[in-house]
Amino acid sequence: MTTFTTLPVIEIQRKRSYPPRHSSFTQGFWSGLTQGRWQTTSCQVCQKQTFPPKPFCPHCWSPRVEWAPLSARGVLYSWTRIYAAPTAFADESPYATGIIDLDSNIRLACRLVDVPGIDLKPDMPMEMVVLQFEDGPLFAARPVANA
Amino acid sequence: MTQRVAIIGTSAIPIGRHQTADDAEIQTLEHEIMSRLVIDAVNDAGIEKKDIESLIFTLPRPYTRQKYFHTFLLGQMRLSCRGSVMEVMGNGMTAALAFDQACNEILLGRANVALALGINMESAVSAAEHAMSSMRATGDVDFHTSAGFTPISWYAMDATRYMHEHGATREHLAAVAVKNRYHASLNPLAQYRKPITIDEVISQRPIVEPLGLFDVPPRGDGAACLVLASEEVARSLGRPYVLVRGRGFFHDGSHQINDVPNNMIGFEAAVQASRTAYDQAGVVAKDIDLAEFYAPCTIVEILVSEALGLCPTGGGARAALDGETRLGGRIPISTSGGLTSRGHPAYVTSLYNYIELADQLRGRAGARQVKDARLGVATGELGNYNAALIHVLEAMQ
Repeated sequence: MTTFTTLPVIEIQRKRSYPPRHSSFTQGFWSGLTQGRWQTTSCQVCQKQTFPPKPFCPHCWSPRVEWAPLSARGVLYSWTRIYAAPTAFADESPYATGIIDLDSNIRLACRLVDVPGIDLKPDMPMEMVVLQFEDGPLFAARPVANA
Repeated sequence: MTQRVAIIGTSAIPIGRHQTADDAEIQTLEHEIMSRLVIDAVNDAGIEKKDIESLIFTLPRPYTRQKYFHTFLLGQMRLSCRGSVMEVMGNGMTAALAFDQACNEILLGRANVALALGINMESAVSAAEHAMSSMRATGDVDFHTSAGFTPISWYAMDATRYMHEHGATREHLAAVAVKNRYHASLNPLAQYRKPITIDEVISQRPIVEPLGLFDVPPRGDGAACLVLASEEVARSLGRPYVLVRGRGFFHDGSHQINDVPNNMIGFEAAVQASRTAYDQAGVVAKDIDLAEFYAPCTIVEILVSEALGLCPTGGGARAALDGETRLGGRIPISTSGGLTSRGHPAYVTSLYNYIELADQLRGRAGARQVKDARLGVATGELGNYNAALIHVLEAMQ
Protein backbone atom coordinates (compact mmCIF):
# COMPACT_ATOMS: atom_id res chain seq x y z
CA MET A 1 0.00 0.00 0.00
CA THR A 2 1.32 3.40 -1.01
CA THR A 3 1.87 5.92 1.72
CA PHE A 4 0.27 9.31 1.19
CA THR A 5 1.71 12.77 1.19
CA THR A 6 -0.38 15.07 3.38
CA LEU A 7 -0.14 18.83 2.96
CA PRO A 8 -0.89 21.57 5.46
CA VAL A 9 -4.41 22.94 4.92
CA ILE A 10 -5.03 26.70 5.08
CA GLU A 11 -8.66 27.81 5.52
CA ILE A 12 -9.74 30.71 3.26
CA GLN A 13 -12.96 32.55 4.11
CA ARG A 14 -14.27 33.01 0.59
CA LYS A 15 -15.14 31.04 -2.50
CA ARG A 16 -12.73 30.25 -5.30
CA SER A 17 -12.67 32.92 -8.02
CA TYR A 18 -12.70 30.46 -10.93
CA PRO A 19 -13.29 26.94 -9.63
CA PRO A 20 -11.92 23.96 -11.56
CA ARG A 21 -14.35 21.49 -13.12
CA HIS A 22 -14.32 17.89 -11.93
CA SER A 23 -14.62 14.79 -14.09
CA SER A 24 -15.33 11.32 -12.75
CA PHE A 25 -11.56 10.87 -13.07
CA THR A 26 -10.21 14.20 -11.70
CA GLN A 27 -12.63 14.29 -8.78
CA GLY A 28 -10.33 11.73 -7.12
CA PHE A 29 -7.61 14.38 -7.12
CA TRP A 30 -9.80 17.23 -5.87
CA SER A 31 -11.63 15.23 -3.20
CA GLY A 32 -8.28 13.90 -1.96
CA LEU A 33 -6.89 17.44 -1.94
CA THR A 34 -9.70 18.54 0.38
CA GLN A 35 -8.22 16.16 2.93
CA GLY A 36 -4.70 17.41 2.23
CA ARG A 37 -3.83 14.42 0.07
CA TRP A 38 -1.23 15.40 -2.54
CA GLN A 39 -1.14 12.90 -5.37
CA THR A 40 -1.06 12.37 -9.10
CA THR A 41 -1.07 9.52 -11.58
CA SER A 42 1.92 7.25 -12.06
CA CYS A 43 2.34 4.78 -14.93
CA GLN A 44 2.51 1.13 -13.94
CA VAL A 45 4.38 0.34 -17.16
CA CYS A 46 7.04 3.07 -17.52
CA GLN A 47 6.86 4.24 -13.90
CA LYS A 48 6.68 7.95 -14.86
CA GLN A 49 4.50 10.41 -13.00
CA THR A 50 2.64 13.23 -14.73
CA PHE A 51 0.90 16.38 -13.54
CA PRO A 52 -1.93 17.31 -13.79
CA PRO A 53 -3.11 13.70 -13.31
CA LYS A 54 -4.32 11.93 -16.46
CA PRO A 55 -6.29 8.71 -17.04
CA PHE A 56 -3.46 7.45 -19.28
CA CYS A 57 0.32 7.85 -19.36
CA PRO A 58 1.31 10.73 -21.69
CA HIS A 59 4.79 9.23 -22.05
CA CYS A 60 3.97 5.66 -23.18
CA TRP A 61 0.18 5.99 -23.63
CA SER A 62 -0.54 3.05 -21.36
CA PRO A 63 -3.96 3.19 -19.64
CA ARG A 64 -2.44 1.38 -16.62
CA VAL A 65 -2.02 4.30 -14.24
CA GLU A 66 -2.44 4.48 -10.47
CA TRP A 67 -2.60 7.25 -7.92
CA ALA A 68 0.77 7.88 -6.27
CA PRO A 69 2.06 10.51 -3.84
CA LEU A 70 3.76 13.69 -5.04
CA SER A 71 6.61 15.39 -3.19
CA ALA A 72 5.47 18.03 -0.76
CA ARG A 73 8.67 20.00 -1.28
CA GLY A 74 10.51 21.53 -4.19
CA VAL A 75 12.17 24.70 -5.42
CA LEU A 76 10.77 27.83 -7.03
CA TYR A 77 11.75 27.78 -10.73
CA SER A 78 10.18 31.18 -11.38
CA TRP A 79 7.37 33.44 -10.27
CA THR A 80 5.40 36.62 -11.02
CA ARG A 81 2.95 38.87 -9.26
CA ILE A 82 -0.17 39.57 -11.32
CA TYR A 83 -1.53 43.13 -11.04
CA ALA A 84 -3.61 43.13 -14.25
CA ALA A 85 -6.07 40.39 -13.36
CA PRO A 86 -9.09 39.04 -15.22
CA THR A 87 -12.45 40.25 -13.91
CA ALA A 88 -13.04 37.10 -11.85
CA PHE A 89 -9.75 37.63 -9.95
CA ALA A 90 -9.90 41.43 -9.67
CA ASP A 91 -10.52 41.58 -5.92
CA GLU A 92 -7.64 39.18 -5.23
CA SER A 93 -5.02 41.16 -7.19
CA PRO A 94 -2.17 41.60 -6.91
CA TYR A 95 -1.42 37.95 -6.29
CA ALA A 96 1.66 35.81 -6.83
CA THR A 97 1.88 32.73 -9.03
CA GLY A 98 4.87 30.54 -9.71
CA ILE A 99 6.41 27.43 -11.17
CA ILE A 100 7.57 24.74 -8.74
CA ASP A 101 10.02 21.92 -9.48
CA LEU A 102 9.06 19.23 -6.99
CA ASP A 103 11.75 17.00 -5.49
CA SER A 104 10.11 14.10 -7.35
CA ASN A 105 11.00 15.76 -10.68
CA ILE A 106 7.58 17.12 -11.58
CA ARG A 107 7.15 20.74 -12.68
CA LEU A 108 3.86 22.48 -11.97
CA ALA A 109 2.41 25.97 -11.83
CA CYS A 110 0.21 27.27 -9.00
CA ARG A 111 -0.74 30.18 -6.77
CA LEU A 112 1.93 31.26 -4.27
CA VAL A 113 1.25 32.13 -0.64
CA ASP A 114 3.39 34.95 0.72
CA VAL A 115 5.24 34.35 3.97
CA PRO A 116 5.94 37.60 5.87
CA GLY A 117 9.60 38.53 5.81
CA ILE A 118 10.54 36.19 2.97
CA ASP A 119 11.02 37.58 -0.55
CA LEU A 120 10.26 35.26 -3.45
CA LYS A 121 13.40 34.32 -5.35
CA PRO A 122 14.09 31.64 -7.96
CA ASP A 123 15.64 28.41 -6.66
CA MET A 124 14.41 29.00 -3.09
CA PRO A 125 12.93 25.99 -1.25
CA MET A 126 9.14 25.76 -1.34
CA GLU A 127 6.46 23.59 0.21
CA MET A 128 3.07 22.73 -1.19
CA VAL A 129 -0.08 23.64 0.75
CA VAL A 130 -3.82 23.24 0.28
CA LEU A 131 -5.95 26.38 0.20
CA GLN A 132 -9.32 25.25 1.56
CA PHE A 133 -11.92 27.69 0.23
CA GLU A 134 -15.57 27.62 1.26
CA ASP A 135 -16.48 25.81 -1.96
CA GLY A 136 -13.47 23.52 -2.34
CA PRO A 137 -9.67 23.31 -2.47
CA LEU A 138 -6.85 24.64 -4.64
CA PHE A 139 -3.19 23.63 -4.38
CA ALA A 140 -0.56 26.31 -3.80
CA ALA A 141 3.04 26.72 -2.66
CA ARG A 142 4.82 28.89 -0.10
CA PRO A 143 8.45 29.52 0.83
CA VAL A 144 9.81 27.19 3.49
CA ALA A 145 10.32 29.20 6.66
CA ASN A 146 13.71 28.67 8.35
CA ALA A 147 15.02 26.93 5.24
CA MET B 1 11.40 23.03 -60.76
CA THR B 2 9.77 23.16 -57.34
CA GLN B 3 7.12 25.84 -56.98
CA ARG B 4 8.15 28.87 -54.92
CA VAL B 5 5.93 31.46 -53.25
CA ALA B 6 6.32 35.24 -53.40
CA ILE B 7 4.77 38.16 -51.55
CA ILE B 8 3.73 40.67 -54.21
CA GLY B 9 1.34 43.05 -52.46
CA THR B 10 0.34 44.30 -49.02
CA SER B 11 -2.08 46.62 -47.27
CA ALA B 12 -2.96 47.39 -43.65
CA ILE B 13 -4.64 49.97 -41.46
CA PRO B 14 -2.58 51.70 -38.77
CA ILE B 15 -2.95 49.72 -35.53
CA GLY B 16 -5.02 51.59 -32.98
CA ARG B 17 -8.36 51.72 -31.23
CA HIS B 18 -10.79 51.28 -34.11
CA GLN B 19 -13.48 49.14 -32.50
CA THR B 20 -16.60 51.02 -31.48
CA ALA B 21 -18.51 50.44 -28.25
CA ASP B 22 -21.79 48.56 -28.58
CA ASP B 23 -23.80 51.70 -27.82
CA ALA B 24 -21.97 54.01 -30.25
CA GLU B 25 -24.34 55.59 -32.76
CA ILE B 26 -21.92 55.17 -35.64
CA GLN B 27 -20.21 51.78 -35.74
CA THR B 28 -16.96 50.66 -37.33
CA LEU B 29 -17.83 47.73 -39.59
CA GLU B 30 -15.14 45.12 -40.11
CA HIS B 31 -16.14 44.20 -43.66
CA GLU B 32 -15.92 47.80 -44.84
CA ILE B 33 -12.30 47.95 -43.68
CA MET B 34 -11.45 44.51 -45.00
CA SER B 35 -12.87 44.99 -48.48
CA ARG B 36 -10.97 48.27 -48.87
CA LEU B 37 -7.74 46.53 -47.84
CA VAL B 38 -8.28 43.73 -50.36
CA ILE B 39 -8.60 46.29 -53.14
CA ASP B 40 -5.55 48.21 -51.88
CA ALA B 41 -3.41 45.05 -51.70
CA VAL B 42 -4.49 43.88 -55.14
CA ASN B 43 -3.62 47.30 -56.57
CA ASP B 44 -0.27 47.22 -54.77
CA ALA B 45 0.44 43.82 -56.32
CA GLY B 46 -0.54 44.93 -59.82
CA ILE B 47 -2.91 42.02 -60.36
CA GLU B 48 -6.65 41.87 -60.99
CA LYS B 49 -9.68 40.63 -59.10
CA LYS B 50 -10.03 37.60 -61.38
CA ASP B 51 -6.50 36.43 -60.56
CA ILE B 52 -7.38 35.64 -56.92
CA GLU B 53 -7.92 31.91 -56.48
CA SER B 54 -7.69 31.34 -52.71
CA LEU B 55 -8.34 33.48 -49.62
CA ILE B 56 -7.11 32.40 -46.19
CA PHE B 57 -8.59 34.54 -43.41
CA THR B 58 -7.61 34.78 -39.78
CA LEU B 59 -10.50 34.02 -37.45
CA PRO B 60 -12.14 37.26 -36.27
CA ARG B 61 -12.50 37.85 -32.52
CA PRO B 62 -15.82 36.72 -31.01
CA TYR B 63 -16.66 40.44 -30.63
CA THR B 64 -17.06 40.74 -34.42
CA ARG B 65 -20.81 40.57 -34.92
CA GLN B 66 -20.73 39.38 -38.54
CA LYS B 67 -20.21 35.62 -38.43
CA TYR B 68 -18.80 33.54 -41.30
CA PHE B 69 -16.83 36.66 -42.01
CA HIS B 70 -14.78 35.04 -44.76
CA THR B 71 -17.62 33.88 -46.97
CA PHE B 72 -19.58 37.05 -46.19
CA LEU B 73 -16.68 39.09 -47.56
CA LEU B 74 -16.57 37.03 -50.73
CA GLY B 75 -20.22 37.85 -51.19
CA GLN B 76 -19.58 41.54 -50.55
CA MET B 77 -16.84 41.60 -53.16
CA ARG B 78 -18.36 39.07 -55.60
CA LEU B 79 -15.19 37.01 -55.53
CA SER B 80 -15.51 33.49 -56.91
CA CYS B 81 -12.56 31.16 -56.30
CA ARG B 82 -11.38 27.72 -57.39
CA GLY B 83 -8.82 27.19 -54.61
CA SER B 84 -9.79 27.40 -50.95
CA VAL B 85 -11.59 29.90 -48.76
CA MET B 86 -11.35 29.47 -44.98
CA GLU B 87 -10.75 31.05 -41.61
CA VAL B 88 -7.85 29.64 -39.62
CA MET B 89 -7.17 29.81 -35.90
CA GLY B 90 -4.14 29.02 -33.78
CA ASN B 91 -4.34 31.54 -30.98
CA GLY B 92 -1.16 33.67 -31.22
CA MET B 93 -0.13 31.68 -34.27
CA THR B 94 -3.34 32.47 -36.14
CA ALA B 95 -1.92 34.95 -38.65
CA ALA B 96 1.26 32.95 -39.18
CA LEU B 97 -0.91 29.94 -40.00
CA ALA B 98 -3.01 32.01 -42.41
CA PHE B 99 0.18 33.07 -44.21
CA ASP B 100 1.49 29.50 -44.18
CA GLN B 101 -1.78 28.08 -45.47
CA ALA B 102 -1.91 30.67 -48.26
CA CYS B 103 1.61 29.59 -49.23
CA ASN B 104 0.39 25.99 -49.29
CA GLU B 105 -2.40 26.88 -51.72
CA ILE B 106 0.28 27.97 -54.17
CA LEU B 107 2.69 25.14 -53.38
CA LEU B 108 -0.10 22.59 -53.93
CA GLY B 109 -1.02 24.15 -57.26
CA ARG B 110 -4.50 25.09 -56.11
CA ALA B 111 -3.88 28.77 -56.73
CA ASN B 112 -1.46 31.01 -58.57
CA VAL B 113 -2.54 33.95 -56.46
CA ALA B 114 -3.74 33.64 -52.85
CA LEU B 115 -4.59 36.20 -50.19
CA ALA B 116 -3.68 35.93 -46.49
CA LEU B 117 -5.85 38.43 -44.67
CA GLY B 118 -7.82 39.24 -41.58
CA ILE B 119 -9.14 41.70 -39.05
CA ASN B 120 -8.85 41.71 -35.26
CA MET B 121 -11.11 44.06 -33.32
CA GLU B 122 -11.10 43.95 -29.52
CA SER B 123 -10.11 47.29 -28.01
CA ALA B 124 -13.63 48.33 -26.95
CA VAL B 125 -13.72 45.32 -24.62
CA SER B 126 -11.91 46.08 -21.34
CA ALA B 127 -8.61 44.34 -20.64
CA ALA B 128 -10.03 42.61 -17.54
CA GLU B 129 -13.04 41.32 -19.46
CA HIS B 130 -10.95 40.25 -22.47
CA ALA B 131 -8.70 38.39 -20.02
CA MET B 132 -11.69 36.30 -18.92
CA SER B 133 -11.40 34.69 -22.36
CA SER B 134 -7.63 34.79 -22.87
CA MET B 135 -6.93 33.26 -19.44
CA ARG B 136 -8.63 30.10 -20.72
CA ALA B 137 -6.26 29.90 -23.70
CA THR B 138 -3.06 29.31 -21.76
CA GLY B 139 -2.38 26.31 -19.58
CA ASP B 140 -4.97 23.86 -18.24
CA VAL B 141 -8.29 25.63 -17.74
CA ASP B 142 -8.99 23.64 -14.56
CA PHE B 143 -5.54 23.23 -13.02
CA HIS B 144 -3.93 26.56 -14.05
CA THR B 145 -6.66 29.08 -14.77
CA SER B 146 -8.14 28.42 -11.33
CA ALA B 147 -4.93 29.90 -9.88
CA GLY B 148 -5.35 33.14 -11.85
CA PHE B 149 -2.72 32.79 -14.58
CA THR B 150 -3.03 35.11 -17.60
CA PRO B 151 -1.21 34.76 -20.94
CA ILE B 152 1.46 37.36 -20.17
CA SER B 153 2.01 36.02 -16.65
CA TRP B 154 3.94 33.17 -18.28
CA TYR B 155 6.21 35.63 -20.09
CA ALA B 156 6.71 37.41 -16.76
CA MET B 157 7.94 34.14 -15.29
CA ASP B 158 10.31 33.84 -18.27
CA ALA B 159 11.61 37.27 -17.33
CA THR B 160 12.11 36.40 -13.66
CA ARG B 161 14.02 33.26 -14.59
CA TYR B 162 16.12 35.03 -17.24
CA MET B 163 17.08 37.82 -14.85
CA HIS B 164 17.99 35.20 -12.24
CA GLU B 165 20.15 33.12 -14.58
CA HIS B 166 21.85 35.86 -16.55
CA GLY B 167 21.93 38.80 -14.18
CA ALA B 168 19.83 40.87 -16.55
CA THR B 169 18.08 43.90 -15.05
CA ARG B 170 14.85 45.73 -15.71
CA GLU B 171 16.98 48.33 -17.52
CA HIS B 172 18.12 45.65 -19.96
CA LEU B 173 14.53 44.63 -20.66
CA ALA B 174 13.48 48.27 -20.91
CA ALA B 175 16.11 48.85 -23.60
CA VAL B 176 14.05 46.60 -25.89
CA ALA B 177 10.94 48.74 -25.34
CA VAL B 178 12.88 51.97 -25.92
CA LYS B 179 14.51 50.64 -29.08
CA ASN B 180 11.16 49.42 -30.46
CA ARG B 181 9.45 52.71 -29.67
CA TYR B 182 12.15 54.48 -31.67
CA HIS B 183 11.46 52.13 -34.59
CA ALA B 184 7.71 52.73 -34.22
CA SER B 185 8.28 56.49 -34.35
CA LEU B 186 9.33 55.91 -37.97
CA ASN B 187 6.40 53.61 -38.86
CA PRO B 188 3.06 55.11 -39.97
CA LEU B 189 1.30 51.81 -39.15
CA ALA B 190 2.43 51.89 -35.50
CA GLN B 191 0.07 52.47 -32.58
CA TYR B 192 2.50 54.27 -30.23
CA ARG B 193 5.08 56.55 -31.85
CA LYS B 194 6.29 59.01 -29.20
CA PRO B 195 9.86 58.13 -28.15
CA ILE B 196 10.38 56.92 -24.56
CA THR B 197 13.32 56.52 -22.21
CA ILE B 198 14.54 53.63 -20.06
CA ASP B 199 13.52 55.55 -16.92
CA GLU B 200 10.00 55.99 -18.28
CA VAL B 201 9.72 52.27 -19.00
CA ILE B 202 10.89 51.30 -15.53
CA SER B 203 8.60 53.77 -13.77
CA GLN B 204 5.40 52.45 -15.37
CA ARG B 205 2.89 50.65 -13.15
CA PRO B 206 3.49 46.91 -12.75
CA ILE B 207 1.33 44.61 -14.89
CA VAL B 208 2.91 41.23 -14.24
CA GLU B 209 6.02 41.63 -12.11
CA PRO B 210 8.77 42.25 -13.21
CA LEU B 211 7.07 43.56 -16.36
CA GLY B 212 5.48 47.00 -16.35
CA LEU B 213 3.05 48.68 -18.73
CA PHE B 214 5.67 49.41 -21.42
CA ASP B 215 7.12 45.88 -21.27
CA VAL B 216 3.82 44.34 -22.36
CA PRO B 217 1.71 44.84 -25.49
CA PRO B 218 -0.97 47.54 -25.69
CA ARG B 219 -4.57 46.70 -26.62
CA GLY B 220 -5.35 47.53 -30.21
CA ASP B 221 -7.20 46.69 -33.40
CA GLY B 222 -5.77 45.96 -36.82
CA ALA B 223 -6.48 44.55 -40.25
CA ALA B 224 -4.16 43.56 -43.06
CA CYS B 225 -4.00 41.78 -46.39
CA LEU B 226 -1.10 40.12 -48.18
CA VAL B 227 -1.11 39.01 -51.80
CA LEU B 228 0.93 35.85 -52.41
CA ALA B 229 1.69 34.42 -55.81
CA SER B 230 3.71 31.77 -57.55
CA GLU B 231 7.18 33.02 -58.41
CA GLU B 232 6.23 32.80 -62.08
CA VAL B 233 3.40 35.29 -61.56
CA ALA B 234 5.63 37.48 -59.38
CA ARG B 235 8.35 37.59 -62.01
CA SER B 236 5.87 38.43 -64.78
CA LEU B 237 4.85 41.62 -62.98
CA GLY B 238 8.30 43.16 -63.38
CA ARG B 239 8.52 44.67 -59.90
CA PRO B 240 10.48 43.80 -56.75
CA TYR B 241 8.96 40.92 -54.77
CA VAL B 242 9.78 38.87 -51.71
CA LEU B 243 10.41 35.14 -51.93
CA VAL B 244 9.54 32.67 -49.16
CA ARG B 245 12.84 30.78 -48.99
CA GLY B 246 12.48 28.63 -45.88
CA ARG B 247 9.79 27.42 -43.49
CA GLY B 248 10.06 25.59 -40.21
CA PHE B 249 7.56 24.47 -37.59
CA PHE B 250 7.99 22.77 -34.25
CA HIS B 251 5.65 21.99 -31.37
CA ASP B 252 7.49 20.89 -28.25
CA GLY B 253 4.70 18.58 -27.10
CA SER B 254 3.78 20.67 -24.08
CA HIS B 255 1.04 23.20 -23.52
CA GLN B 256 2.37 26.25 -21.69
CA ILE B 257 4.37 24.23 -19.16
CA ASN B 258 6.36 21.00 -19.39
CA ASP B 259 5.75 18.75 -16.38
CA VAL B 260 9.23 17.30 -16.95
CA PRO B 261 11.49 20.15 -15.80
CA ASN B 262 13.26 21.72 -18.79
CA ASN B 263 15.00 24.95 -19.72
CA MET B 264 11.78 26.93 -20.09
CA ILE B 265 13.55 30.04 -21.40
CA GLY B 266 15.44 28.12 -24.09
CA PHE B 267 12.34 28.25 -26.38
CA GLU B 268 13.14 24.84 -27.89
CA ALA B 269 10.37 25.11 -30.49
CA ALA B 270 11.92 28.32 -31.87
CA VAL B 271 15.36 26.67 -31.90
CA GLN B 272 14.09 23.68 -33.87
CA ALA B 273 11.78 25.57 -36.24
CA SER B 274 14.44 28.15 -37.11
CA ARG B 275 16.97 25.41 -37.81
CA THR B 276 14.54 23.81 -40.26
CA ALA B 277 13.75 27.18 -41.90
CA TYR B 278 17.42 28.19 -42.18
CA ASP B 279 18.34 24.78 -43.65
CA GLN B 280 15.57 24.96 -46.20
CA ALA B 281 16.70 28.45 -47.21
CA GLY B 282 20.34 27.35 -47.28
CA VAL B 283 21.35 30.07 -44.84
CA VAL B 284 22.73 30.39 -41.32
CA ALA B 285 21.75 32.83 -38.59
CA LYS B 286 24.52 35.30 -39.37
CA ASP B 287 23.23 35.69 -42.93
CA ILE B 288 19.98 37.23 -41.67
CA ASP B 289 19.72 41.01 -42.17
CA LEU B 290 16.65 41.75 -40.05
CA ALA B 291 13.96 40.00 -37.98
CA GLU B 292 10.30 40.52 -37.08
CA PHE B 293 9.26 38.38 -34.14
CA TYR B 294 5.96 37.50 -32.57
CA ALA B 295 7.22 38.81 -29.24
CA PRO B 296 4.42 40.18 -27.06
CA CYS B 297 6.75 41.34 -24.25
CA THR B 298 10.26 42.77 -24.05
CA ILE B 299 11.59 39.54 -22.54
CA VAL B 300 10.16 37.47 -25.40
CA GLU B 301 12.10 39.41 -28.03
CA ILE B 302 15.26 38.73 -26.05
CA LEU B 303 14.58 35.00 -25.74
CA VAL B 304 13.60 34.58 -29.40
CA SER B 305 16.70 36.46 -30.58
CA GLU B 306 18.77 33.94 -28.63
CA ALA B 307 16.74 30.88 -29.76
CA LEU B 308 17.19 31.91 -33.41
CA GLY B 309 20.94 32.26 -32.98
CA LEU B 310 20.90 36.01 -33.69
CA CYS B 311 22.27 36.79 -30.21
CA PRO B 312 24.30 34.58 -27.83
CA THR B 313 22.47 32.89 -24.94
CA GLY B 314 22.19 35.41 -22.15
CA GLY B 315 23.29 38.20 -24.50
CA GLY B 316 19.95 39.18 -26.01
CA ALA B 317 19.19 41.78 -23.37
CA ARG B 318 22.55 43.50 -23.73
CA ALA B 319 22.17 43.53 -27.51
CA ALA B 320 19.29 45.99 -27.26
CA LEU B 321 21.10 48.14 -24.69
CA ASP B 322 24.22 48.23 -26.88
CA GLY B 323 22.26 49.12 -30.02
CA GLU B 324 23.03 45.88 -31.86
CA THR B 325 19.34 45.19 -32.52
CA ARG B 326 18.49 48.81 -33.35
CA LEU B 327 18.17 50.21 -36.87
CA GLY B 328 21.73 50.64 -38.10
CA GLY B 329 22.96 47.96 -35.69
CA ARG B 330 24.39 44.51 -36.36
CA ILE B 331 20.99 42.78 -36.60
CA PRO B 332 17.95 45.11 -36.52
CA ILE B 333 15.02 43.43 -34.75
CA SER B 334 11.40 44.63 -34.81
CA THR B 335 12.02 47.54 -37.18
CA SER B 336 8.24 47.96 -37.27
CA GLY B 337 8.24 48.86 -33.59
CA GLY B 338 7.40 45.37 -32.47
CA LEU B 339 4.36 44.25 -30.55
CA THR B 340 4.91 46.68 -27.68
CA SER B 341 4.86 49.82 -29.88
CA ARG B 342 3.74 48.95 -33.42
CA GLY B 343 0.90 47.16 -31.69
CA HIS B 344 -0.54 43.69 -31.13
CA PRO B 345 -4.01 42.91 -32.52
CA ALA B 346 -3.11 39.29 -31.75
CA TYR B 347 -4.93 37.35 -34.45
CA VAL B 348 -3.43 39.53 -37.22
CA THR B 349 -0.14 40.49 -35.58
CA SER B 350 1.99 38.22 -37.76
CA LEU B 351 0.44 39.71 -40.93
CA TYR B 352 1.91 43.06 -39.85
CA ASN B 353 5.26 41.34 -39.31
CA TYR B 354 5.29 39.96 -42.86
CA ILE B 355 4.26 43.39 -44.17
CA GLU B 356 7.22 44.98 -42.40
CA LEU B 357 9.59 42.43 -43.90
CA ALA B 358 7.96 42.87 -47.32
CA ASP B 359 8.39 46.65 -47.08
CA GLN B 360 12.01 46.28 -45.99
CA LEU B 361 12.88 43.66 -48.62
CA ARG B 362 11.17 45.65 -51.37
CA GLY B 363 13.19 48.70 -50.33
CA ARG B 364 10.25 50.89 -49.42
CA ALA B 365 10.51 51.18 -45.64
CA GLY B 366 11.39 54.87 -45.84
CA ALA B 367 13.14 56.24 -42.75
CA ARG B 368 13.33 52.74 -41.23
CA GLN B 369 14.89 51.12 -44.27
CA VAL B 370 17.60 48.58 -43.40
CA LYS B 371 20.33 49.24 -45.94
CA ASP B 372 20.79 46.44 -48.49
CA ALA B 373 18.31 44.20 -46.68
CA ARG B 374 18.22 40.83 -48.45
CA LEU B 375 17.20 38.19 -45.88
CA GLY B 376 14.56 38.54 -43.19
CA VAL B 377 13.11 36.11 -40.67
CA ALA B 378 9.62 36.14 -39.13
CA THR B 379 8.28 34.05 -36.26
CA GLY B 380 4.82 33.05 -35.11
CA GLU B 381 4.14 31.20 -31.87
CA LEU B 382 1.62 29.92 -29.40
CA GLY B 383 1.67 29.30 -25.67
CA ASN B 384 4.99 30.19 -24.11
CA TYR B 385 6.69 29.55 -27.47
CA ASN B 386 5.60 25.91 -27.08
CA ALA B 387 5.18 25.99 -30.84
CA ALA B 388 6.90 28.17 -33.41
CA LEU B 389 6.27 28.75 -37.12
CA ILE B 390 9.18 30.48 -38.80
CA HIS B 391 9.69 31.82 -42.32
CA VAL B 392 12.84 33.08 -44.02
CA LEU B 393 12.12 35.69 -46.70
CA GLU B 394 14.42 36.97 -49.44
CA ALA B 395 14.39 40.16 -51.52
CA MET B 396 14.12 39.68 -55.29
CA GLN B 397 14.68 42.70 -57.48
